[in-house]
Amino acid sequence: MRIQISGLSKTYKGGVHALAGLDLDVPTGMYGLLGSNGAGKTTLMRILAGILKPTSGTVRVGGHDITTPDGRLAVQRTLGYLPQDLGVYPDLTARRFLDYIALLKGLDSRPTRRRRIGELLEVVALTEHADRRLKGFSGGMLRRVGVAQALLADPRLLVVDEPTTGLDPEERIRLRTLLSQLAGDRTVLLSTHIVDDVAQTSRSVAVLAKGRLVFQGKVGELTALAGRRVWNVTTSGPPPASGRIVSALPDGAGTRYRVVAPEPPAPHAQPAEPTLEDGYLALMEELPLKRGQSRESIA
Amino acid sequence: MIAALCYEFRMQVRRPVLWVVYGLTLAALIATFGESYTMLDLGRGGGHDPKAAMVTSATITMTLLPIVYGCMLADRLVRDRRLGVAAILDATPSGRTGRLIGKYLGTCAATATPFAVAYFGRAVVWVIMEGRPAALGWSALMFLLGIVPGLLFLGALSVAGPLLMPPLLFRVLFAGYWVWGNLIPATMMPTLSHTVFAADSDYVPYGLLRLRMPDGMSTTGPWPGASLNLLRPVATPSVALLWIGLMVALAAAVLSLARLHTALTES
Repeated sequence: MRIQISGLSKTYKGGVHALAGLDLDVPTGMYGLLGSNGAGKTTLMRILAGILKPTSGTVRVGGHDITTPDGRLAVQRTLGYLPQDLGVYPDLTARRFLDYIALLKGLDSRPTRRRRIGELLEVVALTEHADRRLKGFSGGMLRRVGVAQALLADPRLLVVDEPTTGLDPEERIRLRTLLSQLAGDRTVLLSTHIVDDVAQTSRSVAVLAKGRLVFQGKVGELTALAGRRVWNVTTSGPPPASGRIVSALPDGAGTRYRVVAPEPPAPHAQPAEPTLEDGYLALMEELPLKRGQSRESIA
Repeated sequence: MIAALCYEFRMQVRRPVLWVVYGLTLAALIATFGESYTMLDLGRGGGHDPKAAMVTSATITMTLLPIVYGCMLADRLVRDRRLGVAAILDATPSGRTGRLIGKYLGTCAATATPFAVAYFGRAVVWVIMEGRPAALGWSALMFLLGIVPGLLFLGALSVAGPLLMPPLLFRVLFAGYWVWGNLIPATMMPTLSHTVFAADSDYVPYGLLRLRMPDGMSTTGPWPGASLNLLRPVATPSVALLWIGLMVALAAAVLSLARLHTALTES
């Protein structure tokens, strides 16, 4: 299910511009959406989920215009949405909560609902906790309940907003793997500020900054932005003055710094292989210089 | 709408605090009214007449229990946002208006359940003591026609009110409104008490059910010396129907405003 976004803007009351003329084309499969906090990712996710109305622009999902009531309804019938701040009714059991959401999604047949909920509890490994009240669930378990509710109507589009925030590493990997498995012939739009989540799951990625698209392409292309700009500097003195320090590891008597910089940040700097995180940081470093240029020229 | 109705009913009716608060308030009510509650006679006679006794029971029940009803409903609509469930619900293809109506009806029905248990429980006890089962019919009529319309309006007010202010403040104001607008004598100060806009009204028993108390007095109609008597017509069947219609219309208007408010704030 293809998402085509054109000239999308969202201005909140008070004049806050969350999105400013966003153009984006998302094909079927897993798609990463990166950006710092406040970049406009959640606003975009909420518009795609039909919760927010855009101020201007068009959004077509699988051919339906989501800015019209009929189009929004059509999209919501094929949509699974996992919001950033997932909430549940604490006194309901996982099974009851899913049953409620399934009813709201139009799964009227009780046997069908039961079967589907049973299958999904299996998928998210919560079968043995199905009849426990949600108030006793850990953050990771709640996220899995969130994934299950998003999948109830077998959606063609899955919109997932910051799904791994606050999870321990084991839960994070488990959820990431689950989302990758679910992609298949679906469109899964994964919004996150954790670069590693995109690196481990997606082939394509877009980057937002201050409500604008600043990159759209393959993960490798974003990584390549840091080509010949990543350096290792080992020193017992002060950290390199130029470039952006990605990491600092104790190394013998000194510290080994990983630095993204256009030029060697120190005379003895060694070039290193870039990662997606380096590419993202290189892009973000360039943004102030490239303000006013088109996204094509940046990408 | 049906899904929201069923689940909101289930979630609300299972709250232990709902039953505890109702229970404590009912105990306070019984302690306050004492023999009047036991005899179902407020000093006007009629304690042995099924219709009069059931109306008296309704009058006593409607003094304090509506405050509990309103206060227990006050967090129902805003809690979806507080719990963070609203985003999931709003992303479903279920209509927001239908969901609001379902939530309203479900939570109101659940919150009225202990109320109904208290009222019908008293009716059953009266029937056992007096041996006149006709009271059950009168109690059902009185509940459906004389109490439910008022509860529908109060429910809408309590579900929607906390959209504009914190639930705690709403509860305080609601209790104040209940005393001012429904309980105090019409002569004390300008008040909605005993008008067709009062949720606790005697228009149905005196107008529609043709109740005549042994003392011959009625609490409906103009009060000598009171202001706003224009809103206190003499009880007739048509005025009773007007009161029912007003309560339902007010409930619908309040819910429409709530829907409009959420539509404006969410965009």
